[in-house]
Order: sequence, then C-alpha cells, then structure tokens
Amino acid sequence: MDITILQLIINGLLLGGMYALISIGLTLIFGVLEIVNFAHGEFLMLAMYAAYWLFQLYGIDPYVSMLIILPLFFLVGIAVQRVTIQPILNAPPLNQIFMTVGLSMVLQNAALFIWTADYRTVKTTYSGLTLKTAGLLISFPRLVAFLLAMGLIAALLIFLQKTYTGKAIRALAQERKAALLMGIDVYRTYQIAFGIGTACVGAAGAMLIPVFFVFPSVGSLFVLIAFVVVVLGGYNSLTGSLVGGLLIGVVEAFSGFFISPHLKEAIYFVIFILILLFKPTGLFGRA
Amino acid sequence: MKRGVIGIVAVLLLGWGISSVAIAAEPYRIGALFPFTGSLALLGNESFNGAVIAQDMVNEKGGIQGKKVEWVKADGVDPKKAITECERLIAVEKIKLVFGTYSSSLSFAASEIAERNKVIYWEQGAIADNITARGFKYLFRTIARAGDFGNLAVKFTNEVVAPKLKMDPKKIKVGIMFEDSLYGTTVGNSAAKKAKELGMDVVAAESYSHKTVDLSSVAMIFKSKRPDVIIATSYMEDSILFWRQAKEMDLNVKAFIGTGAGHGMPEWAKTFGNEANYIFNIDPPIGINPRVFKGNTLEVLNDFRERFNKKFTHYPATHATAGFMAAHLLFEVVLPKAGSLDPEAVRKAALAVDIPEGGTVFGFGVKFAPPDNPAAGQNLRAIPVLMQWQEQKPWVVYPGTFAVREALMPLPTWEERAKGITKFIK
Repeated sequence: MDITILQLIINGLLLGGMYALISIGLTLIFGVLEIVNFAHGEFLMLAMYAAYWLFQLYGIDPYVSMLIILPLFFLVGIAVQRVTIQPILNAPPLNQIFMTVGLSMVLQNAALFIWTADYRTVKTTYSGLTLKTAGLLISFPRLVAFLLAMGLIAALLIFLQKTYTGKAIRALAQERKAALLMGIDVYRTYQIAFGIGTACVGAAGAMLIPVFFVFPSVGSLFVLIAFVVVVLGGYNSLTGSLVGGLLIGVVEAFSGFFISPHLKEAIYFVIFILILLFKPTGLFGRA
Repeated sequence: MKRGVIGIVAVLLLGWGISSVAIAAEPYRIGALFPFTGSLALLGNESFNGAVIAQDMVNEKGGIQGKKVEWVKADGVDPKKAITECERLIAVEKIKLVFGTYSSSLSFAASEIAERNKVIYWEQGAIADNITARGFKYLFRTIARAGDFGNLAVKFTNEVVAPKLKMDPKKIKVGIMFEDSLYGTTVGNSAAKKAKELGMDVVAAESYSHKTVDLSSVAMIFKSKRPDVIIATSYMEDSILFWRQAKEMDLNVKAFIGTGAGHGMPEWAKTFGNEANYIFNIDPPIGINPRVFKGNTLEVLNDFRERFNKKFTHYPATHATAGFMAAHLLFEVVLPKAGSLDPEAVRKAALAVDIPEGGTVFGFGVKFAPPDNPAAGQNLRAIPVLMQWQEQKPWVVYPGTFAVREALMPLPTWEERAKGITKFIK
C-alpha cells in the first residue's frame, strides 16, 4: 500500500483515539445515565487547565498529573451531580438541558474571568516527539492518548460487567424504578456514575494538553464531536464509542486529504446521517 | 441718563463679546464611532485612545485654525447598533464627519449610513477589502486592506525569496492555506491571484475552519505537493495547531509566511520558543527602520508614544497607532486645508492629499483613490510590512527601506532545528 495512505490511516486512528477518549465520559453520562450533559466540554476545559497549572506551578508532568486529576474530577463529578442534577432527576429532560447549558456558560465565563482568553500551552520533552518507523510518522503523545483510550474503555467494561456498583449502574440505566425496588441506592449510584464519567473527562484533559492548547471555550471545539461519537456508537456502548471515534477520525483524515480540509467536518456529518438513516440505533446500539 | 447709556453700551459690548467668543470657540465636533463596550471593546477603545492623543496634541496648539477638536462618542457594539448610532450622530448631533471603527463588519454597516447622508466617514482600522470597493464618495480609509497582506507575501516571494534561494520565480512552488472566514478567504485568494499573475506555480490552496481540531490533512497535502513557500492566514488556535502538526508530520519548506493574526502574536512566539524563529509574518508597519521617516515624522511618532504611555500606562501597539495616524492626518493636513467640516470641502481636501513615503507615523504615504477608482477612498500608499521572528522577537525585514534586519533563509528543517544547525544563505 502507498505510504501516504498508511500515514493517513495512522493520522486518522490517532485522531479518532482522541475523539474516543473525550467521548468515554459522555457515553457513561449521556449514553448510560441518559443525562444530556452540555457541560461536558467545560469539564474537559477545566481538566486541561488543571493539567496546565499543575505543570506550570509544580512542574508535574501531565501524564503524572492524571493521578491527581482522576480522583479530583471524580469528586467534582459527584458534587456537580449532587448539587445540580439530582434535584431535577424527576423533572422533564428539558430541564436537565437547561441546567447543563447554564452550567456550561457559568464555567466558561468563570474561566474567562479567572484565566483570561489567552491560549495556553505546555511544552514537555515529548510534546513534538515523533516515532519514525519505515517512513511512517507516529506522534508519541497522540499514541499515548490512543492507548489510554483503549485502556480506559477496557477497564470500564470490566467494571460495568464484574462489580456490584457496575451492575447497579447498568440496572439503573435499564429501568430506574425496578432498580430502586431491587434495593439499589439510586442517588448514590447516580453520583458514582457521574463521578466516573467526569473522571474520564479529567483523564482526557490531561492527555490532550501536551498536543493541544487550552482557552476558556476550548470545550466547544470538542463537545459536538463527542455527542456525535456517542450517538454513532449506539448511545450506551463503550465499544461503540471507540469504533465511532476511530471511524470519524479516519474519515476526517481521508476526506481532508483527498477532498478538501474545508469540507472534512461536513463529510463526517454526512456519513453520520447516513449511518443513522440505515441503522437508527447507532453502530452498536440495541433497539 | 448717562448711566443708562453706559448700561446699554455695556450690555451691547457684553453681548457682542459673548457672541464673538462663541464664534471663536465653536469647536470641530467629530463623531467617534467605536465598539466602546462589548466583546470588541478592548481594541475598540485602544484604537480610539490613539486618536485621543492626536486630539490632545492639536488642542494644545490651540486647535485647528483656532477651533478646538471635540469628540462626540457613539458606541457601536454590533453592526445593528453601529447603524443606529451613526444615524443618531448625523440626525441628532448634526455631525458632519464620523471617525471609526476598528472592526470591519461595523465599519461596513455604518459607512453605508454616512454615505447616504453625504457625511464623511474616516476609517482608521478596519481592513476588509469590500469597505472601499463600493464606489463611495464620502468614505476614506487610511490603512492597508486585507488583500494587500496576501499581495505582499507574494511580492516578497518574488523579489526576495526566489533570488536568495537562486530559484526562478516562475518555477517556485507556492502552497497557500487559509481559514475560511471572510478574513482568511480575502487574504488567501488575493495571494493566490497575485502568485498566478506572476506566473508562480500554486500547487495547493487549501481552506479550513479555524475551529477544527485537526490540521494533519493540510500538512499531508503540503507534504505530497512539496511547495517551496507556504503562505498561511490563520487565527491563533489554528496557527498553533498547524505548526505543531507540521512538526509531527515532519513538513519542511524553505519559507513560511504568515499574514497577520495568529503568526504575529507574542503568544505565538511564547508557545513555540525557538521553533517560532525564522517564520515570517505580515502586519501593519510597527518597529520599522527610522530612516524611512521624513521631516518631523519621527519626532511626532516619539511624542505620540510618550504621551500615550503617560496617559494610558502602556506603549501603543498597532491599533492605537492606526487611530493616531488617521486622526493626526485629519487634524494636521485635511481639516486645515478644508477650513470647515463641510463634507464637500473635506472631500476635496482629502483627495488633494499627496504625502510621499515617510510622511506618516506608519512610514507609508497617503494618496486616496479618486471616486472613479475601483478602490475609491482607499489610501493607495498604505502597506503592511513583513517581519521575521528572530530570537523570538519580530523584526521588520521587508520592504527594504523599512527593514531593520536581513531576512534569513531557508527555514531550517525540523531535523536541523533539533540539532540546532542553520544553513542560511548569505
């Protein structure tokens, strides 16, 4: 195969890995818990700032800072769920949308107020590091992000299948009232699930900061694609999100090169619409 | 009786005195239409502050032919508000000359109102080409257009890059990339047009959304088409993303020319450190070689800079200087010649202005295009200049008379950068 084609596949997969990584938390919150979380992008933004400041102030490498950000964002998630989502769990879904859109605006403007609109980047030793094999170029930090996405998905799949809390989350997703009748602590399980989802976004933020940059509305660049990935994957399927993310990444890399960089976003949306036309439940969704 | 006469005389004298004072002091009232609040406020105020210094300077001398200059401020937050504020200035405040506006979309909308009412619109900072492409008779713009940025990039490639690299300009391969809003499209298309006019080989002209999170496909296109020179028009986020992905994809060219916005920001250099070095960028003429200035222009510039720093506690950059340059030209050259704010007289005076290179604080001259010119009202002598990042600071390198340093080429490859070697041609 032509080396350019191989390189495009690699670029697409690495980009798709990034999309999948960002979407994992949303799959759990939006796909499994069915909470439409429009503040997802802002959690990503906060995580990127957290990784940025840990690096700037304390010299903590973004990959190491994940050990701090993961538990921190788990707690942030629980707090956010407790304060904003829990009181309106029984209200119509529209109220959740207003609540999370409002939360997203508050967080964005708070970030603008505290950190200004400046673009911030970190420069680690591996920031521009590229692995060269047989004429192919693989960006090291993107590869790490890709592998982490795989690892996180595998860990979450095991957690949801094997542990009591995991099973409780799935039970909740299937039928809340029945779960309650089976003696599951519904509020606690919601909090934990939301916490895990937020922690996953936290990890994504730490992974992204070596290759990307952060500014108060950086979340808006990613949040739409995260929703697309989740819906494409079939709402409640982590494997689906991974495949959906990779698919969009590869489509973007190819259409950008062969058609036009100007149209690449439009093209993956066309493919998104086509897939939903023929399989309305998404790639891995069950009717 | 005597007393009565004295009283009447005194009253008459007083009345005459008051009216004569009133005539002498009747100021030049000029509308200042800027986005003073809202999201554009920062640079809107900065632009106006430059003009305020020009006002201070002229009023200190006693005004224009004895008449002081006064601003009537109007806050054009968005195009709709700019229109209503411009209407208010003209109808309620009876303003005959509007000075503005910094943002192109605001200027485009408000100048329409001024033209319809036969009121002068003096544009100091908006750069969209279409503002002076409508054949307006009462509109004047002092600074260069966006398209001039693209043209300069190609002219530089033709006159400096090709000879230095010992290449035939007609054989040089040019790659163009631009973000797809009005700004990027205007600059990118003008560069492509100019390059084709000069017979260059435009191997790729790619646009993209500046909100994209991946530009590896643009880097891949350039890698396969192998341009010698890349001309890029990017905002901040996409300029950072592209240069990072250019490194990841090991994309190497002989010269990389940015055309304002992203590539000119101090944050750009801060983000990339030494990897920002030897990139070119085009911006309005700041930090140019003082040998350009003729007459007392350099003293005026220094006086302006010091006054600005004293009043606003920082030194002026591009926007404030643009505001000052336009206002200074108006107060020192155009209005004294016109003798009043009558739009016809101001028009005549403006069209008669003929300032050669070195006569303004931007270094370029002034000659407004007459109404039959396709760019009616545009200052045809306004140009941007080309700078190069060296030691993480921007230095003007082109055109020759404006230059403070020599352009260094070719751009080191990523491998050479990693090893810290450069192979510049003397």
